[in-house]
Amino acid sequence: MANQRALPQSKESLLQNYNKRLKDDIRSILDNLTEIIKTAKVEDETQVSRATQAEQDHYEMHVRAANIVRAGESLMKLVSDLKQFLILNDFPSVNEAISLQNQQLRSLQEECDKKLTSLRDEIAIDLYELEEEYYSSSYGQWDSSDLPLCEAYRRWDSWASPDRGATSGSAQGVEEDTDGPASQETTPKHGTITAADKP
Amino acid sequence: MANDRLRALEEVENQIATILQCAGNIVLELSKDKHNASFLDRQLSQFTGSVNRVETELSSQIRYLTQVATGQPHEGSTYSARKDCQMALNRAEYARVKLGELGRTCEVMLDPQP
Repeated sequence: MANQRALPQSKESLLQNYNKRLKDDIRSILDNLTEIIKTAKVEDETQVSRATQAEQDHYEMHVRAANIVRAGESLMKLVSDLKQFLILNDFPSVNEAISLQNQQLRSLQEECDKKLTSLRDEIAIDLYELEEEYYSSSYGQWDSSDLPLCEAYRRWDSWASPDRGATSGSAQGVEEDTDGPASQETTPKHGTITAADKP
Repeated sequence: MANDRLRALEEVENQIATILQCAGNIVLELSKDKHNASFLDRQLSQFTGSVNRVETELSSQIRYLTQVATGQPHEGSTYSARKDCQMALNRAEYARVKLGELGRTCEVMLDPQP
């Protein structure tokens, strides 16, 4: 089976074949139309009878017209082959089409990511404000034994203000489990956040 | 660039149809008892012009292909850019879905059903 398969033609021979087909088809169209026009001329003197000559001319015109149509169809096939060859082998235009497509896709991707990034920034700002509001309210109170130290220091710093005395009844998350002396402390110390951690 | 050449070949196909049309009109006119000479001249000049245009254009295309064709397959691809773009669109869609869920949750919390 592999031996029966025809080897692919080289590029040069293929293009030479296209040239030959073009020349042959154009030549066929021109010659056949010329002969039809010549045959249409009525001859006064004929070698055979008029009827026979007319029949012969009719048949010849029929064949030549069919040749013209065949040549036209062959030219259409040639154009189709050239289109296919162009699409597959016209590297400059294929490269240009690929780079244009890549450029469009990358710009779309960058625009998408830029919008997502700006959305993320906006949501982060809103989230920060919501977190501030939530954790400073009574709903955001944590068990001080589970509270990480950095969070405790952060909240302690935010509460180390004159307003802390006014809010002593509500925002006392850190001091929840501590006794009175812990609530009176103004500065946090390592290991003094909870009653269990007191020396 | 490629589209221009393909469009030129489309035009060549139309010209080939014009060639056959003109040849048919010439033969039809010759079959009549009384010929219209001006009509025949017009059709013949149109036929000749179309044939010349077809030959010129196809020769030019074959000459161009002789210069640029390498015989090797083209290995370019837009796959990676297309994949990256698709992932970006998926990210945007995911963010949209999540924001939609968040919005619905907020609506439910703010407007509890009686």
